[in-house]
Amino acid sequence: MTTVLDVEQPSTESDPLTDRLEALRAIIEHAAHLLPAQGPITAFVHHNTLHAFEHLPFETAVVQAAKVFGCHPFLSEEHYRRELERDRIRESDLEAVLREDLGPAADDPLLGVTRLDLRMTMLRCPVRTAPAAELRWLVAEADALRRFRSAATPQMRSRMIQDTRRWVMREVRSKSAPRPGDACRPVWLPDLFREFGGAAEDRWSDEAWESFTLSTLWRLCVEGVRDVRSFAEPHIEPVRHRDVLLEAAGVDADLEVHETLIRFCAAFVDQGFAPWPLPGREFGLLDAFVELHSGGPSVSFNWMADVRRDLQDIRRQGRSPLESIDDSLRRLGVRDDERPDFIRATLLALRGWAGMIQQLETRSDRAARPLPRGSLVGFLAIRLLLDLHAARHLARSHLGRDVDLRTLRSELRLSLATASGPAAESRAFQMFQVAQFVGWKPAELAGLTKSDWSLLLQEVESFSSLARRRVMHLAFERRYRLRALDAISLRAAQKPAERVTPQFQAVFCIDEREESLRRSLEELCPSVETFSVAGFFGVAMYYRGAGDAHDIPLCPVIIRPQHWVREEVVESLEDEHRRRAQQRRLLGQASHHLHVGSRTFTVGALLTTLFGPLASVPLIARVLAPRLTGQLRRRAAQVVQPPPRTRLRLERRAEQPGPTGDHVGYSVEEMATIGERVLRDMGLTRHFARLIFLIGHGSNSLNNPHKAAYDCGACAGSAGGPNARALAKLLNDPGVRKRLAERDVPIPAETLFVGGWHNTCDDALQFFDTESIAPARRSELLDALSVLESACDQNAHERCRRFLSAPLDLTFEEARRHVQERAEDLAQTRPECGHATNALCIVARRSRTRGLFLDRRAFLQSYDPTRDSPDAPILTRILQAVIPVCAGINLEYYFSFVDPIGYGCGTKLPHNVASLLGVMDGPSSDLRTGLPWQMVEIHEPVRLSFVIETTPETLLRVLDANPALKQLCVHRWAYVSTLDPSSGRIHDYRDGRFEPYVPQSQELPAADTSAEWYRGWRDHLGFALIRDALHPVRPADIETDRRGA
Amino acid sequence: MEGWTIPWIACSLVIGAPVLLLATLGLALLLETGISERMISRLVQFSVLTGLTGAVAMLVWMLATGERDVPFELGNWVSIPQQHFHFRLKFLFDRLSIPFAIMTYLLVGTIGAFADKYLHREPGFRRFFMCYSLFLLGMILSTLAGTIETLFAGWELVGLSSALLVAFFQERPAPVRNGLRVWTVYRIADAAFIVAAVSLHHLTGEGDFDALTGYGAWPTGQTTMSAGQALFVGSLLLVAAAGKSGLVPFSGWLPRAMEGPTPSSAVFYGALSVHLGAFLLLRVSPILERSPLLCGLVVGFGLATAAVGALSARTQTDIKSALAFACVTQVGIITAEIGLGFRYLALCHIIGHASLRTLQMLRAPSILRDYHTLENAIGGRLAPSSRIWQRMACSRIGTSLYRLGFERGGLDASLDRWIVRPFLKLLTACDGWERRWTDFLSGGGSRESDQVRPAPQPLEELL
Repeated sequence: MTTVLDVEQPSTESDPLTDRLEALRAIIEHAAHLLPAQGPITAFVHHNTLHAFEHLPFETAVVQAAKVFGCHPFLSEEHYRRELERDRIRESDLEAVLREDLGPAADDPLLGVTRLDLRMTMLRCPVRTAPAAELRWLVAEADALRRFRSAATPQMRSRMIQDTRRWVMREVRSKSAPRPGDACRPVWLPDLFREFGGAAEDRWSDEAWESFTLSTLWRLCVEGVRDVRSFAEPHIEPVRHRDVLLEAAGVDADLEVHETLIRFCAAFVDQGFAPWPLPGREFGLLDAFVELHSGGPSVSFNWMADVRRDLQDIRRQGRSPLESIDDSLRRLGVRDDERPDFIRATLLALRGWAGMIQQLETRSDRAARPLPRGSLVGFLAIRLLLDLHAARHLARSHLGRDVDLRTLRSELRLSLATASGPAAESRAFQMFQVAQFVGWKPAELAGLTKSDWSLLLQEVESFSSLARRRVMHLAFERRYRLRALDAISLRAAQKPAERVTPQFQAVFCIDEREESLRRSLEELCPSVETFSVAGFFGVAMYYRGAGDAHDIPLCPVIIRPQHWVREEVVESLEDEHRRRAQQRRLLGQASHHLHVGSRTFTVGALLTTLFGPLASVPLIARVLAPRLTGQLRRRAAQVVQPPPRTRLRLERRAEQPGPTGDHVGYSVEEMATIGERVLRDMGLTRHFARLIFLIGHGSNSLNNPHKAAYDCGACAGSAGGPNARALAKLLNDPGVRKRLAERDVPIPAETLFVGGWHNTCDDALQFFDTESIAPARRSELLDALSVLESACDQNAHERCRRFLSAPLDLTFEEARRHVQERAEDLAQTRPECGHATNALCIVARRSRTRGLFLDRRAFLQSYDPTRDSPDAPILTRILQAVIPVCAGINLEYYFSFVDPIGYGCGTKLPHNVASLLGVMDGPSSDLRTGLPWQMVEIHEPVRLSFVIETTPETLLRVLDANPALKQLCVHRWAYVSTLDPSSGRIHDYRDGRFEPYVPQSQELPAADTSAEWYRGWRDHLGFALIRDALHPVRPADIETDRRGA
Repeated sequence: MEGWTIPWIACSLVIGAPVLLLATLGLALLLETGISERMISRLVQFSVLTGLTGAVAMLVWMLATGERDVPFELGNWVSIPQQHFHFRLKFLFDRLSIPFAIMTYLLVGTIGAFADKYLHREPGFRRFFMCYSLFLLGMILSTLAGTIETLFAGWELVGLSSALLVAFFQERPAPVRNGLRVWTVYRIADAAFIVAAVSLHHLTGEGDFDALTGYGAWPTGQTTMSAGQALFVGSLLLVAAAGKSGLVPFSGWLPRAMEGPTPSSAVFYGALSVHLGAFLLLRVSPILERSPLLCGLVVGFGLATAAVGALSARTQTDIKSALAFACVTQVGIITAEIGLGFRYLALCHIIGHASLRTLQMLRAPSILRDYHTLENAIGGRLAPSSRIWQRMACSRIGTSLYRLGFERGGLDASLDRWIVRPFLKLLTACDGWERRWTDFLSGGGSRESDQVRPAPQPLEELL
């Protein structure tokens, strides 16, 4: 019959349906933007958690996102108030922020105080809120009506009591009726007066007067707020059936839905963990689900039987996921106009898994087993089916009747609206407290008309908790920014050092963790010059080490590498290499079999009975002596590791780049381009030292699913050693140097580049290709390496001040051993602090910041404005990379700290690696995205402040030419300032233009060494000048110094 | 009695150390002394080392003197002669309890050192170690128990601390729900246990294992019970063991117990408390010998558990659940071994399994790194499935087997459907009758709680 209809009216029948489904698809795609954009954590890429809101100004965006995700936009008031107590925020900051917000309206009078006073008081004193029941208890039983809130000052308290005393005497004693124009006398006042003891008022104790004042105040507030409309933001209506049911009946339909859905999603996206993969995975999400559940008998929730019937229908009618969604929405009674909200809320209910499905679907290049297109739609189809039946079942069993799902929400909402009591008491309680803090006396309040009350309430309620948190947050950021800008401008005011030829130069990543290492190096050896560029060193490549199985992209995520580089073992050791690879393969296969086998019946039984007791040896050894065991393990592994003498295959023989054979590598021309670009970026085109170290970084730790999040951000969550090695090799190449000389970058023949990497967890340094260095240069190299080693010890020491488990009186060597142990310890949940505390990004010459103690909080990018042309092409390409990457890292830390449960992934302790791509809390939960609490614990959530050494005009031009950067800066996802290259004056970017910044302080504290400044201190530290590192010294001067000593 | 001073000292060290630890920690927390993390970890180290020294000394002494069965009486603590009831504390050192006690100290001690760092700065640090010391005491009491009431006391402490640790993250609903579930299963096991103990008292007049297991050192004791009595008491003990060790049909609680911090999952559910059921069966093995039918039941339950576990383990996609089902599998096999009479094999199996599984559990978060290393060694992606499965996967049987494993043998769902729901229905009906009766008596709505809506509070600060 359907066929007949189709034939008769093909166009009119099909078109509305397709349109409808297309509209549905668009809605889903739109909602999917809100899902977390975190891919598998094996390659962790930091990005702005609220990337989807970047088109809005930061302050608006966080509040909107708070509503959409149910997460916190800022820290709690309590947290900020603690910061206020310890002077991290100052009252002057609060006042400045308020004045800027309010403009001239700040000084409007409000019942004896100004608006500014009122707001400052509300910021200073905590206004308690409580549910109605607790409130009633507070008023009736606790001492809310007996004692002033402790935050009210004693002067305020006694002034109010005195005033009330005079007022009540006048009112109660005067026999005459109140004359017009008098403050009106509440009718209950005489009764209350009598309750407290009446006539014998001169014998009332102070406590009695205090209590009387408060009782009067409370009654006035209760009367005052009555019938005044609320000025607080309206409560958000629940959208999903589950939300309404939860509110009405206290049952959570998501519990059972999620149990089924999580297990299924985990099996579907599994990257190869389960020995048995899900059957029918290749058919797509919905079909695999149908296949699994509509088949033979199974025991599950009783409503799953209904789901199974629907699934069989879907299979029989060959319904597509979109059609199924459309059908479910209709059965759920979701109107067309509420579809976007409903679908958004439904997708976000299990946002971790939904987001991962979307990531595997859209970024198929980043996963071992990507998903086919349309998987997210399939997910939604399943989810809605489960939601539908779970809601029906729960409604039936908890409301005791069969319900129509289409009208369920409106019915329950109606009953909820009548059930929820008026919030009048809590409004009164708020006014009651504010009056105590501000000093609004009962006599004054008694004289207010309804419209006065309305104005007053509006004033108080519009400065809601959310608004207060915003102001406090801005003040919190302001204080840090003022200190930072002051320090930088004071440092810039120092007279510039004369140029000396350095003993050696070292180039690091811009990562803020390398700041302390650079400072230590400059302190230990003042004749050293340091630079920094993004840690992929301009070499964007797919890299495969001699012992690796896969090509790994080593460059920022936004770049897709066009070149492949391989590590090879030198010819003389090739046989050895082949033999070891064979051994590794055998060992690997054996251990994989044992690993999986230990969880099976037979192999597991044999293994545990025969060899199980042996496991106690590594168990006890690794827990009790992690460092020693780690060393032993490494030594044992060396037997089968690739032979130590390797080299990079960097030069390409074929015309086109590719992953195999002669296509591997770069042409000389390409290498010269890379070299020139990197050197120009950091302003190193003259004054080359004889030795130049290029040092990438990475982090090694155990038992840490989030390991990649500690690695180099510029290498997409891998270690940047190979990039440094590649750049060193190509800059040492005579052919490349010849071309560079032609392009006005003359590298002297005696200059030698050495690549290496710094392990930011155990502070080890490893250098590559040092064995091929001419013997004549060895002693020079060894000298430099020993300085670098000492710098690492010192760096470890500075890091240790942040670890509570490291005593404060460690020596440098002990500190080094401490961090080594952390890296090898299975029990260590904080192998290092990662990017925590980052707050600043300085794009400038090192001479601008050298000797400034930045407390490992500043990303540093070398940039020499004097060597850039007026239209700033170098600055442009630097900022294109640095602003999004650094702001991304900073914002991810911001959100994971501000709401560790909602935006972050909570504490690491119960984490459970699921499907080899993410972590869950315990055996079954949503996939947790964001950063774990242990990683962000010591962070200060402030937006990143960029300080860029250039003129305001140049930067304005650069921003205008790059809308993406401009958007981030204009909307204040990061602060931007310029540091004038010649005058050292600072300009602040605000609303699209630059204004001069006036430094607030005149002096910067100074210390001889960093250790002197930080020793004995665990918390964040202020800026200081470190004299030893301040100026470069000629190597010859040090010699004389030493001899003199 | 001069030769007995060494064992007496050793015994008091083994038992006294955990008692002292629990008392000190408990008092310190009760009096809110703000005891530091470092102090707690020293206390734990000290008591574990003391206990371990005692256990090893006892082992050496027993080996040296050739004693195989050393009982220690601490007398009757409660005695009601009219009811023939007494609570007798008695400890027994023999070939079963000594290895178990040493293993307990080694594993619990290692985990203590691990958790000290792992839980550093965690708000629940003290709470964790409080449960930890409760658990240690419970384990030592039950392994060394010489009477059924002592064993029960230890068994209860283990159950309580385990459930509390599952619900360690009490601010989230899932751990609390799963903790409650584990607790419920434990209660069923406890009920079976206590009924068994009471029947034993009735049948033999005392709760000594001597009566239960006969006379003679483990494992060669002979029971005086008849086959019928043995079957009855034995079946009840089997239910108790099934609950505690996650045998069929209770296996579903084990993966749910993975809610707590990694070290507690490792030692409690991966290694120690999950073997307590098997330990009980080993302890009462003489009555198993008495009744072939009972042995058959034990083997049957064991194999069924192992089958469900092995099937489910293959379909798990997260490391902790996979390990939990691997654990279920091996505990099933161990139970079957006990049923078949291989006592020493079972004991070796338990010790080996506990050590290996603890290590695997502790290293669970390393799985990504391990796979990466393995892939590099092999030089390609790891093939997860065997060839047999690849051939079977497309067939109907393959899908059905997968579904069975995926739904974890349907055990939890069947328990919910056939036991929990009827039970709840009954109770709800009772509640309904009571309400009608009280409404009638008070002539109107008699319950104020009906008026309170169970609404969750929204984010307060966002209001």
